[in-house]
Amino acid sequence: MHGIAGMIARRLGQLVPVAIVATFVVFSLVFLMPGDPAIIIAGEYATPERIAEIRHLHGFDQPMLIQYVNWLWKVLHFDLGTSLYSSEEVARLIVDRLPHTILLVVYALILGAAVGIPLGILAATEQGSTLDKIITTTASLGVAIPNFWLGIILVTFFALTWRIFPATGATPFWQDPVEAIYYATLPAIALSTGVVAVLARQVRSALLEVLGSQYIRTLRAKGLSSGAILWKHGLRNVAATMLTITGLQVNRLFSSAVILEAVFAVPGVGSLISYSALNKDIPVVQGIALMLVIMVILTNLLVDVLNAILDPRVAAST
Amino acid sequence: MRNGSGRMLPNITRRAMLAGTAALGGSLLLPAQVRAQAAQPVKGGTLRVAMPFNPAALDPLTGRNNPDFNSLFAIYDALMDFDPNTLELKPGLAKSWEFTDPTTLVLELVEGVEFHDGEPFNAEAVVFHLDRCTSYARSNVKSDVASIDKVEATGPYQVSIKLKNPDASLPAALSDRAGCIVSPKSVKEAADGNVDRNPVGTGPFKFVEWRDNDLIKVERNTNYWGDEPYLDAIEFRIINELNTASRAVTAGQADLALNLAAQQIAVARRDSNVVPEAAPSLIYYTSFLNYKDGPLADVKVRQAMNWALNREDLNRVLMLGLGQGHCSMFPTGFWANDPETENYYTHDLDRAKKLLAEAGHPNGVEIETWTWPDQAAVQRQEVISSQLAQAGIRLKVTPAPPAQAMQNFLTDKKGHQLLSPTGGLPDPSITYDRQFSGNAYRNAGGIELPGFRELMDASLSTFDQESRKKVMYDLQRFVLENALHLPQYLSAGMTVRTPKVHEFVFGLLNRPKFHKVWLEA
Repeated sequence: MHGIAGMIARRLGQLVPVAIVATFVVFSLVFLMPGDPAIIIAGEYATPERIAEIRHLHGFDQPMLIQYVNWLWKVLHFDLGTSLYSSEEVARLIVDRLPHTILLVVYALILGAAVGIPLGILAATEQGSTLDKIITTTASLGVAIPNFWLGIILVTFFALTWRIFPATGATPFWQDPVEAIYYATLPAIALSTGVVAVLARQVRSALLEVLGSQYIRTLRAKGLSSGAILWKHGLRNVAATMLTITGLQVNRLFSSAVILEAVFAVPGVGSLISYSALNKDIPVVQGIALMLVIMVILTNLLVDVLNAILDPRVAAST
Repeated sequence: MRNGSGRMLPNITRRAMLAGTAALGGSLLLPAQVRAQAAQPVKGGTLRVAMPFNPAALDPLTGRNNPDFNSLFAIYDALMDFDPNTLELKPGLAKSWEFTDPTTLVLELVEGVEFHDGEPFNAEAVVFHLDRCTSYARSNVKSDVASIDKVEATGPYQVSIKLKNPDASLPAALSDRAGCIVSPKSVKEAADGNVDRNPVGTGPFKFVEWRDNDLIKVERNTNYWGDEPYLDAIEFRIINELNTASRAVTAGQADLALNLAAQQIAVARRDSNVVPEAAPSLIYYTSFLNYKDGPLADVKVRQAMNWALNREDLNRVLMLGLGQGHCSMFPTGFWANDPETENYYTHDLDRAKKLLAEAGHPNGVEIETWTWPDQAAVQRQEVISSQLAQAGIRLKVTPAPPAQAMQNFLTDKKGHQLLSPTGGLPDPSITYDRQFSGNAYRNAGGIELPGFRELMDASLSTFDQESRKKVMYDLQRFVLENALHLPQYLSAGMTVRTPKVHEFVFGLLNRPKFHKVWLEA
């Protein structure tokens, strides 16, 4: 436990410098993107005078470093600022929208693991068989199929034709968990195909490697049943791998959620960050970038803690 | 016979029964439209609207885009109302108005109106509001009221507006953002006077909540000064992706989807359960040109581009025929549109090539062009490029996001033209001014050709409608003869709704009013 506590402390200590570097890089990229946000803010009523007024009002006429330091200073005082375009507080935007994205990601992860891991196990235990080939091919397709296309197909049949699920929208989980899961089902299925594919392939590879190892052959020679070998020894040894890969999928799912949130009109942070980046709504982009950095670090930390519980050697080495 | 309560039932004869059955059966044979037309408005229900754009603000003064009006007119009344299909001005919060002289506009206000926060609407409120239009740091409508010199309450319900110069377009501007009256009390109580997210007006619906880029909810104003609206409430769901917004109606999750494109109308036409509509609109697609510098400084090159376009084909391919393929800035039938010059330029490649040769480009000319990067804009650019190429006009295209493209072309003066939609303004003078006046942001070269200013001033100082129409016709001819832009086609206001929605009109400005809209039970 001391090793794990130390690992957690080290990781949390890394959070601040990583967050500063990441947000500075994001800020620079958005700042350097061509285009003047003052023109967008002025909109159809743009005149040269109005644009100049807006630039001065929002501090766009300041040097880039000054603008970043101003933002950072506010963040240190727990103020993420307001959207340039809608005047909504960035913190409020994130608090309102993040739960929708988290629900999609977690739901997709659970579906992906529930389907992908058993498929991987099956493929490994039936290595070389027709079933193995079907699973491997399906897994490749799962990686190749664009999930927004799959989302549209799911909507066409399950929502518009058969009316089993809704086509659009989301309900906050805290308001009605059952309805929230109902609305999130189709987008989560579309989002999970990549997870199923990656987990199936990786679990299969890892399990084949373990099942082919010397000590497993020894256990077999000693008369242990295949079932016992698989469940007590094989899977235990690939658990850390499965956990790590699942954790990596979380990062990928957040980015994949961007398109699916548009297809299903889910009011999450994915759709918000793409819209905000295109329009150079810097406070919103910065706020979401900061939030994502924190989430990725915490997710990786959680995975490492679980790995450390499974294998105490991990805590000492990270 | 008696019913359970002991009272005698009406004595229904066999003849009456047969007659009643015949009547019922006969009515079912009537066409559905006739039966629907006979339907009476029903009070109640929540209208669920899907719209692609999150408002910039629900303060009419600080917002900036036309689609903001999807929800603005639910919350605010303007000083002037307008007919959605002709834009003819009607009384609004101003029950009458008059130019007592060319630089004085006097408004008589409706009495007995209250804002949603209970404050009275009166001349003082209008003065406060119009002063805010001109002086508030975040006001985007300063240019709309630039002609206003001074506003005075000359009676409890009378406002006199003194102008710096004659401005016949001002009443129309007061049917727009500048005329949507915001409660002074709400402004005074807000931090920094910012009511972007807490709108208080006098409109038929009161603001309830706004979840950013997700949902705006309004509910019936039971204290409305006019007839109470039929709907209990309206939920505006912001769905950025157009196909998804249209699907929400098809799936029964929304009653109405706004601001759609031709593709969604084509798909919706295959579904008999929804009603797709494409009505004339004041939005038009054109190119802003720099006619001060570069190859487009020569009027013959600009004219050649106009002759090279096949606008009917553009409308057919890009709008699926739902728009109007001619070179006017206004739709056919609109009062300021001259039908004689509506098709001033037709598709004539020989004429285009001849003009290019006369301009010193016998082997063609290259035009540096900015366009937006979205799929529809790229498709538009490709069709236009191929049409112009047939006359030897080669477009060197750089796609860029709108803000970048506008900055590069309109601010930094790079390139020769920018492909862009525009329009959707309440008065034609404002439309001409915003695009062609020397100080107009969209006029990249910043110059006015000789003759333009006189026509522009005449459009603002002519108050008689018939005379003003003639000035507009002259302006239209001037713009076309001098090829000050490259008009391509007019858009359409495209929506999809369920048959249960009645009395919805998107109108020429695509600014719906939900006061009379009702939902079948």
